[in-house]
Amino acid sequence: MDFLDVTLKLLSGFQLTILLFIFTLLLAMPLGLVFTFGTMSKWKPLSLLTRGFVYIIRGTPLMLHLMVVVYIPGIVFNSPLVRWPIFGGNTNAAYFVGALFAFVINYACYFSEIYRGGIESISHGQYEAGQVLGMTKSQIFFRVVLLQVVKRIMAPVANETITLVKDTALAATVNVYEIYFMSKEILNSEFIIWPLFYSGVFYLVFNAGLTWLFRHIEKKLSYFRS
Amino acid sequence: MKKILIAVLALVTMLSCFTSCGDSSDWEYVEGNGKLTIGITIYDPMNYYDENEELIGFDTEFAKAVCEKLGVKPEFKVIDWKNKETELKAKNIDVIWNGLTVTEERRENMDFSTSYLINKQCIVIKKEDAEKYTSTESLKDALLAAEAESAGETAIKADANLKNATYNPAESQQNAFVALLAGNVDAIVVDYTMAKATCGSGDYKDFVMIEGIELTQEEYAIGFRVGSDMTAKVNKIIEELVADGTLKKIADKYEMTELYEEALGK
Repeated sequence: MDFLDVTLKLLSGFQLTILLFIFTLLLAMPLGLVFTFGTMSKWKPLSLLTRGFVYIIRGTPLMLHLMVVVYIPGIVFNSPLVRWPIFGGNTNAAYFVGALFAFVINYACYFSEIYRGGIESISHGQYEAGQVLGMTKSQIFFRVVLLQVVKRIMAPVANETITLVKDTALAATVNVYEIYFMSKEILNSEFIIWPLFYSGVFYLVFNAGLTWLFRHIEKKLSYFRS
Repeated sequence: MKKILIAVLALVTMLSCFTSCGDSSDWEYVEGNGKLTIGITIYDPMNYYDENEELIGFDTEFAKAVCEKLGVKPEFKVIDWKNKETELKAKNIDVIWNGLTVTEERRENMDFSTSYLINKQCIVIKKEDAEKYTSTESLKDALLAAEAESAGETAIKADANLKNATYNPAESQQNAFVALLAGNVDAIVVDYTMAKATCGSGDYKDFVMIEGIELTQEEYAIGFRVGSDMTAKVNKIIEELVADGTLKKIADKYEMTELYEEALGK
């Protein structure tokens, strides 16, 4: 296998890495906000339930969640994930969606805590000012608070996002044939080790793009500086 | 939140009925799916890719021959070897068929078919150490690796000399090879079939097997779900494949004639 063959094979795996990354981000970011509202809810049972859930997910390894999603349907419910009719017999799709589910739940929990920190950092006076001006609660949140929150949480969100890029390698343990899996496969079939380290370059380049993007966004948002 | 939970649970129950209600036996389940999902890893010479990226190997061809007789399509699924028991139990795969060693501990989690190959263990070292390490005696102070829970580990523990060496279990046989390459260990104990295919190629070009060492032998078999009626059915097909020479032909092709004859041939 020459350099080009290896690059192509790794790229085919990297497509899955990127897909997993993008879908996780698109789904986890809004879901995280839902969790935040749950945690901050004045209705105690909902708040307790969400906080308990976030505690459990944050307190246990993602690797374990991947196993739960992929194996529990078959072992406990006698309904193997790969045979679910929605996947139409496509086992690769089944493993991908299973892994995606675990990633989304995980990252939504982390995001929800970042959002909560951001929302709680807005001074109470702003809410009072809004009330005085006759704004409704949702008007205050969406028109006054939210944009300030977005700016404040940008740095930790960038952190999580970059961690997510690298965490996708964990999906290899549940048969998502992403780039790390591919590089191991080359090692096992061709007995060459450098592709394993070469795969790191792909992550690095991708993260360089993300870093630039987040810096750009932060610059745009610095417009709000008072 | 609760409503969502109830909805999810209802969905799962519904789906479980879709897929599994009415399966009275494992074979009927597989037959109903129309395919046998076979859990493998990429493992030269059992299951690996040729130049055209086609899956070939002893177990690949063997499994195809058995599936033809069963009348179902073989579907090869590359899995993480550490999770093979769980994959099998979760019904994500139907059999484990990838140079699987028969061990007593494994019987708790799976049923085995008739053993079809002898799994000899051998010691692999770097060429530069060939004069230093010639026997198990010379390895008694060395650093050793083998796959955790593998036949290699059993061989190390059973050998009077090797059991005194410093032993670190590796996650897989492939990782043991990497450990040897990195110099983290002096010698590894791995399957003979694998060592034969691996030593001398790629980054392992300077690896050699120590000749003339007898270690404990084990056997390769196919792993089925515990209590599956597939086991008896496949065993019968194996008998047929032995009788008509198909299996011998596959063994010849992958240079495993001797290992095959010791296990099954007369």
